[in-house]
Amino acid sequence: MSKVVEISPTTRHEGHSKLVLKVNDAGIIETGNWCSITPVRGVEKLAVGKTPEQVPKIASRVCGICPIAHTLAATESMEASIKCEIPKDALMLRHILQMANRLHSIALHDILILPDLYLPGTETKINPFTAEEPVRTVAKRIQRLREIGQTIGQIAGGDCIHPRNTRIGGMYRNCSENAKTKMHDLAKEALPLAKAQMDLMIAILRNYQARESVDVGGMKVAMPKTLGYHNQGYLATHPFYGSSSMEEHPTWDIERFKEVRPWDWYMGEMDITLEEPRYPIGGTTKLGTKCNPQMEACTGIPLYDGQPVEVGPRSRLVKYRHYDEKGTVGQNVAREMEYVDSLYEMLDKIDALNTNGKVVADHIPDGDGSLGWASNEAPRGTDVHIARVKDWKVQYFSMLVPTTWNFATCSAALTGAPWQLAEVIMRGYDPCVSCATHMIVLDEDNKVVAQKLIQ
Amino acid sequence: MSHPEIAPPSENKNPETLFTEIVIVGCGNPLFSDDGFGKAVFEELENLTLPDNVKVIDGGLGGPHFIFTLLDPEVTKKLVIIDIADYGAKPGQVTKLKPEDLPPGAYRDAHSWDLAEPLQRIKDQIDVTIIGCQPARVTAPEFELGLSDEVQRAIPKTIRVILETIGVDYGTTINLQEEGRQPGTAKSSGSPKNG
Repeated sequence: MSKVVEISPTTRHEGHSKLVLKVNDAGIIETGNWCSITPVRGVEKLAVGKTPEQVPKIASRVCGICPIAHTLAATESMEASIKCEIPKDALMLRHILQMANRLHSIALHDILILPDLYLPGTETKINPFTAEEPVRTVAKRIQRLREIGQTIGQIAGGDCIHPRNTRIGGMYRNCSENAKTKMHDLAKEALPLAKAQMDLMIAILRNYQARESVDVGGMKVAMPKTLGYHNQGYLATHPFYGSSSMEEHPTWDIERFKEVRPWDWYMGEMDITLEEPRYPIGGTTKLGTKCNPQMEACTGIPLYDGQPVEVGPRSRLVKYRHYDEKGTVGQNVAREMEYVDSLYEMLDKIDALNTNGKVVADHIPDGDGSLGWASNEAPRGTDVHIARVKDWKVQYFSMLVPTTWNFATCSAALTGAPWQLAEVIMRGYDPCVSCATHMIVLDEDNKVVAQKLIQ
Repeated sequence: MSHPEIAPPSENKNPETLFTEIVIVGCGNPLFSDDGFGKAVFEELENLTLPDNVKVIDGGLGGPHFIFTLLDPEVTKKLVIIDIADYGAKPGQVTKLKPEDLPPGAYRDAHSWDLAEPLQRIKDQIDVTIIGCQPARVTAPEFELGLSDEVQRAIPKTIRVILETIGVDYGTTINLQEEGRQPGTAKSSGSPKNG
């Protein structure tokens, strides 16, 4: 008979989410629901009536780890609406900022997943903060990669967290020739570090994949060969940067997108009937507790061609590099492969940057109310912002962020796994839950029927 | 058409250096009213001329992920965090706290694998001070822009406390060039305006 176990809150990611898992007698997940429990915050409403310059600054504040992606996507959605082409060197600076952000994010994700993994050839799980070798050397390398990513981002974007250099129509300032040289030197320093880190992480992931069992809170859990497999599709709009409605051949189609109610996709009210106090950290939810994913979920379910899709590093590699490995390990390996790619792309853009070139468009239109969108291939996936600007006022704004895409897809990927490994599957998506929380629900005629907090 | 509100922001004075000996971080989310206190103080600090060994950062919500877990104790010796703090005082009152004074979860890093406070991890190697202002209102999860009057009025005093904490005399921080004044005409010491 099926039992229900709940892991709440989930850990090692941004924001608050939980996993509600219906499992069989052997503890294998029959139905898994991963849902955000961060309340909806309504950035879309706040944006209406603001200037196009204000809205990207607002968008960049909806979460703690994605401000660069949101700044770029929001800025470019405004530019798409007003049909403003930015100069080539402004675009180069944005590309460099984008790759610096990705470099930092991959390194941070390494820290997040290492505690699930084993030192190859041992039964020791990896504590990335230990002072003992060989982990200490690896941790220092990860920190250096993060420092380099942040420093390059700061040079190109003006700041390493909230980039002050971006503006509607381009960038406020080009960088100096010395700063360009500094970025180049840092990227060259990072290349061998990233290559070594990628090789090590892939070896550690392959070792994990080959294990017959793993330990979770003292429980011996059999390792399935299909951990995290799903049959949903993949969505990516560019191997590195993004796309927009201004392009002649955009790689995202707003007509193929729809967002629907979570209560059509999640389980209804249930009692918790399985409790495991040994599960880290602090055990699972207590027996008898009520849970109701349908009503607790704080996001809509975005569909592309009528189905949830996966976004993120694997999707980019599937679409642009013919990558075909499924499952959680395949997803994490894909992310590691982006380490070196991001640095080569960054070096190309640094080389192409003319520090004497103009970085602001000659003409910045006020906007005629046209709908424009821009996608940004954020570290954790496709981040689409949609805007309508008229007479230099924002009439409509919407953020369709990566983890929103991944909630339903990851939920499907939980089926067939031991419940104790549900968080390992979830972490493969490098979730950012805070910014995923919004709710714009469309009916069959694509009319908005709900844009509110559901709790 | 020109867009006058697109004025260039102040320039990052040292973009090639990530962290310095003294790091000041304005934390919080300006979308939640008084939670924007840290950013507002950051913007005021940007108008001052601070020593080269001081870096001021708009941390937003990213302090734990981008700063506290990345500081190198061999480089950074002092960390000053500016944020709101609910400690039962009157709105706008400012206090100095140490990591030990913080309630559990105050700076919890969701990225930390054991949910430990990242500040607890670094406090023995880096001198950490939190300068907290009692908010009047924090509107989360609803968005609201703008500080309350009480918290707005706390900014000058906070600047003074920050400068005392890092051992910098206010008189030496006035940016004469940007204010268009000549050397010798500014106050040489004392409190910030309205302080």
